[in-house]
Amino acid sequence: MGEFKPEIVAYVCNWCSYAGADGAGGQKLAYPSSVKLIRVMCSGRVDPQFVMEAFRGGADGVMVLGCHPGDCHYRSGNMKAQRRFRIFEMLLRQMGIEKDRFLLDWVAAGEAKRFVELATEIHERVTALGPLSLTGSVERTVMADG
Amino acid sequence: MEGARKKIGVFLCKCGTNIAGAVDMDALTAWVEKQPDVAWVRTNELLCAPTGKEFVKNTVESETCDSVIIAACSPKMHEKNFREVAGEKGFNIAQVNMVNIREQAAWVTPDKDQALEKAQSLIAAGLERAQYNVDLDKPEMECKTDAAIIGGGVAGIEAALMLANAGRKVTIFEKDISIGGSVIKTEEVAPAMECAPCLLAPRLAEIRDHKNITVVSNAEVTDVLGFFGNFTVKATRRARFVTAACIGCEACFEVCPVWVKSAFHLGMGDRKAVYTAFPGSVPAAAVIDKENCRHFTGEECSACKDACPFGAIDYEDNDEVIEVETGAVIVAAGGGDPDVSQLFDGVAGRENNVLAMPEFERLAASNGPTGGEIVCADGSVPKSLAVVHCAGSLSETGLSYCSGICCMTALKAGELFRKKIDGGKVFNIHDRLTLAGTEQQHFFDKQCEEGTVMLKTSDLSSVNIVMKEGRLQVTASGVSESVAVDMVVLSTGMAPSPSAERLVELTAADLDEYGFFRPGHPILQTTSTTIDGVYAAGSCKSPCDVPTAITRGQAAAGDVLSRLIPGKKLELESMTAWIDGELCAGCKMCIAVCPYKAISFDAEKGISIVNEAICRGCGTCAATCPGKAAQARHFTNQQIEAELKGVLNG
Repeated sequence: MGEFKPEIVAYVCNWCSYAGADGAGGQKLAYPSSVKLIRVMCSGRVDPQFVMEAFRGGADGVMVLGCHPGDCHYRSGNMKAQRRFRIFEMLLRQMGIEKDRFLLDWVAAGEAKRFVELATEIHERVTALGPLSLTGSVERTVMADG
Repeated sequence: MEGARKKIGVFLCKCGTNIAGAVDMDALTAWVEKQPDVAWVRTNELLCAPTGKEFVKNTVESETCDSVIIAACSPKMHEKNFREVAGEKGFNIAQVNMVNIREQAAWVTPDKDQALEKAQSLIAAGLERAQYNVDLDKPEMECKTDAAIIGGGVAGIEAALMLANAGRKVTIFEKDISIGGSVIKTEEVAPAMECAPCLLAPRLAEIRDHKNITVVSNAEVTDVLGFFGNFTVKATRRARFVTAACIGCEACFEVCPVWVKSAFHLGMGDRKAVYTAFPGSVPAAAVIDKENCRHFTGEECSACKDACPFGAIDYEDNDEVIEVETGAVIVAAGGGDPDVSQLFDGVAGRENNVLAMPEFERLAASNGPTGGEIVCADGSVPKSLAVVHCAGSLSETGLSYCSGICCMTALKAGELFRKKIDGGKVFNIHDRLTLAGTEQQHFFDKQCEEGTVMLKTSDLSSVNIVMKEGRLQVTASGVSESVAVDMVVLSTGMAPSPSAERLVELTAADLDEYGFFRPGHPILQTTSTTIDGVYAAGSCKSPCDVPTAITRGQAAAGDVLSRLIPGKKLELESMTAWIDGELCAGCKMCIAVCPYKAISFDAEKGISIVNEAICRGCGTCAATCPGKAAQARHFTNQQIEAELKGVLNG
């Protein structure tokens, strides 16, 4: 068995955090290639189902990034995401997924460095935890809802 | 996925050496060619160059595919352009999508193998997603091009004139009995020291005579319904009891037996129970103050009616609901005056000759309660004046911020004082000074040369004002001796409009933490609010001086003129949400989370409905809907889950 190479999915909002990641590119700030972005228009669009699907599909870690509170392009979508994912975080453990595999945070369009820091943070957290192994009950939970 | 899988055409851009230098393009091309569903792959040096775009256009014309992927830079750079180019050859915008292998792979992954792997994974995601891309409509909507303006101060006046001169119908809703706002109450505008009423009078007359402008004064807006291009604004015009036949001749004033404190003079002067705010007001018609008029308080009096040469008095007048249909709403509600009653142990007040700046402005104004004579409460002429800067500002209990305009007004007070009172002495007690601008510092220098004594305190909170032996003593730490004067002016900042919260409720716009209208974007869209088609102009946006308020009014009008064009339909967002009526259980959760109030409930059908003219496509409803009835166009569950599958398996 070779070295563990984590897979991390980052759901990022179009306006702030995707632009923040673009900024990281523009400034040539390297971050772990394990972190792969999926763009949505707003962090409020991210259904917890997408996060569970990611874990089920092989992701070892998942990030949801939105605009900072008060800066949401759609006024309050990020706050809806926050409400939703704060509860979701609590449920993760019950499903046998370590809390550290999930990260909800905010990155402004100008915060390239912050994006890199968060991407690095989740990569390191997940690397320390090792590969995610789902128990049968989680498989069933996800499948039943899917 | 039903039916045959879509065939995807893939462009790979080298971006000069930007991508090719970090990603092995030959290996990438070879890998893409082997992917299922790929119709063809074309690699190019620089797709965004004119030759590159030509290449895209020619390729999508000569080759066959159902959907196109352009693996290059961020979609924020050129996606729109590539959609246009491919659109010329019949491709719907939903079928032309970029995959970002520059910002997300080439530029951030120093290891070439890892960069290649990541680029492959991102392209795999794009290929998988493309299977579920559904053509998008470019919806359009008929729109109204007229405007409603809430607030008839300088910002509202300028916006109205600009729109009306361009042929648009404008309705100004004003809560007071006439327009002019706070500026009509001031004498001169610093630093140019131009006479404010003289600047405004011709504008007021132009408004009065303009065929495209209707002024609804003495009115309260009660509803703002609809959305950009299609608003309905409702207001209640309070009964005036004087018809439009009134020209403001004032014949009734003389005969009216009732005296009342004048709000226009901030309580420092009197008016009759039938009155106008000032001569030459717009509208010209007087108004009867029902609370105080003898006719309405049970006494037999019809003095005004008897005296009116125009038969304009109408005791039977009633409140009236006015409704207008407009394309845009400009809120120009102005700012507010901070409450000074709690400052300095309650010493503030006309009776103590401690005046808030707006009161001093009234006293110095030729249309003011004393005709412009600066006098003490007992009628004597003050010989000395102390101006206390930052009164109620930069404090925890008052305004936490610097309004940025009051230092100039504080200096202007000294100039007005010396101008009106020969040998008048002026002391300004200040901490920080805000005098930004090309003219402001010169104005400050001029005041100092002409006699204003600037006394800097080391602690703003130490400033105190007490009445001692009939004179006002001002002390402050860092100022060695107390200053004894006949009159004190508290240089107050600008608070948010008292109407702001109510207007936010009506328009669904948003206020910032200080109570001013939050802009659509803090840098790019400072003219708009967070609601499309609802603009904020003047000092309801943030404290500002007169020229800035005017510019903001013009900016709002300009934006309306550039976006609402007669005969041209309004292009709507294509990537909106929709609700599948078959799946909707009517739980209304989508209605609760929609940031734009774009979703309503159809009680008859028991389902939620998205108004696509309001929806901005954030997709929060889609993420919230427990029945997956709400969906976001171009970001459907299938599309996102397909992209995820590609990312993880690619």
